[in-house]
Amino acid sequence: MAKDRLNRRAFLKAGSLALGASIFTGASAFAGGFTNKTLQAWSCGGLAEAFQPANHAFEQKTGAAIAYTGAFAGALGKSLLSGTAETEVFAPRVLELARKLRAQGKMRWFEPLCFTRYVVATPKGNPAGIEGIADLSRDDVRTALAPDASPPGGKASLIIMEKAGVVEKARKNAVQSGDCVQTAMTTLADGKADAAVIELRISRLPCFAGRLEILPIPEKYIPPAPVPFTIGMMKWAKNLDLAEAFIEYILSEKSQRFFEAAGFIHARSSEGRRLTHKYGVTDA
Amino acid sequence: MLKTFFSNWKRRIVQFISLGLIGEWSFYGIFRCPFAVPYIGCGNCPVIQCPGRSLWLWSWILIGGSVLVFGRAFCGWICPGGLVSEILSMGSFLKSKLKKRVSAGLAYGKYFVLVLALYFFFLAQNPRWAIPIRTGDFFKSVGLTVEHADPVWIYKILFVLAALGLSLAVPMFWCRFLCPTGGAIEILSRFSLFGFLKNARCSDCDQCRHRCHLETRPSEINCVQCGDCKESCKPNAIEWKSPLAPWRNPDTNFGSGQARSANKPHFL
Repeated sequence: MAKDRLNRRAFLKAGSLALGASIFTGASAFAGGFTNKTLQAWSCGGLAEAFQPANHAFEQKTGAAIAYTGAFAGALGKSLLSGTAETEVFAPRVLELARKLRAQGKMRWFEPLCFTRYVVATPKGNPAGIEGIADLSRDDVRTALAPDASPPGGKASLIIMEKAGVVEKARKNAVQSGDCVQTAMTTLADGKADAAVIELRISRLPCFAGRLEILPIPEKYIPPAPVPFTIGMMKWAKNLDLAEAFIEYILSEKSQRFFEAAGFIHARSSEGRRLTHKYGVTDA
Repeated sequence: MLKTFFSNWKRRIVQFISLGLIGEWSFYGIFRCPFAVPYIGCGNCPVIQCPGRSLWLWSWILIGGSVLVFGRAFCGWICPGGLVSEILSMGSFLKSKLKKRVSAGLAYGKYFVLVLALYFFFLAQNPRWAIPIRTGDFFKSVGLTVEHADPVWIYKILFVLAALGLSLAVPMFWCRFLCPTGGAIEILSRFSLFGFLKNARCSDCDQCRHRCHLETRPSEINCVQCGDCKESCKPNAIEWKSPLAPWRNPDTNFGSGQARSANKPHFL
């Protein structure tokens, strides 16, 4: 009995040591595995506020350096499709763009990354008493629009208002109608307009934090094209292990908080899974 | 040449410090700002990497304050564009070749550019002429900005670069004839408290104009209060003083004669 107890203790001790050693060496190997390695990652500019802290966390964890570019995905995609530019990882908006890159053999594979949300924004305190998108047709509601901004901020907002039957009044009552969503939001946050249709992420930008209130828009009004974002490995990826580890980190629960803080629904959340199914975000 | 360049070493030190502080912002304004008019309203610019997002408001407050105290000293002491122009101007082969009348006429170009800038900023709501590369390696981002910019944005950049480059021929071409910020400061500097002025001992020998990299004289159009001319004045007719307090120096006669003509306000 005593011998048996001793053996068990010895076994547990040796096992713990072995487990500890393997965890330590495994962690060390992961942390040091990508030291001094650089990965070029591009994404839709709207994701920059989520990617920046996520990249930083990945760099700290692995020792790798992420050379990150965030800009209008349509423009980046055009450069990649035309062959004037290359990157190793790309996280575009619009499923069609990822599929085009896949079809051309420029993207090896992709996975759903996150989804955007459109909302009605009002200045802090909602002085015009807006209750929903239908109120944008009220004669006394001044709107701030950016119809000439890049499509996710410009065209998509107009489609939403059109589907909700308020676009004519919203255009007529626009106190701002330019080509920059952030300029329009400054007008709104300053109280010079009463309402606007924007992506939730805009309200999370530091310059608007605490200056706007948001109201949900029914999903039936939201056009599908600008909603899903994907992340994929490009054919130019030099270090496949690093690219894969980076994508896996971005898709992990750890980086989910960065995306949610920036106003997105992460693909691996329960709502994200529903939207993945709804929008059919699957690799071809 | 280098000896002349560093003759006013205090000014060079200030210029190089300001190059370190706001030089990066200057480059962003030229090469990566997607808007028609850069450097204004940067607080909500989508280019999140640009240092102007945190610098612009205080910078303009400080520039405004400096104009009211020191006139166009910002151009001569702080502006990185001014420093670049000065370096390019070291090899100008048309130095002192432009006739005074031509130079004075071209100097109104900056007010024309200023009016254009005000139109685009206030009336046209500062349109966006390029895709903002929100964040990325500087030179690759410049390449992407150029690749996806509207032609008008390309023309604007070419215009600015060509005007800066023309300093290789005509000294300080951009600063003297086209800079809208310089134009705005020049207008406001009429109300400045201090500056370099000529006193009654001025004999119109024009030594100061020959010494000046902007080919002007104290208190005349395009004087950037650099003070480089002071040592070149043999009759000691250049003084640092307040145009609002001429009684402090009995040599300065603002009421009549040569000194009044010499310190003629810029826009009269």
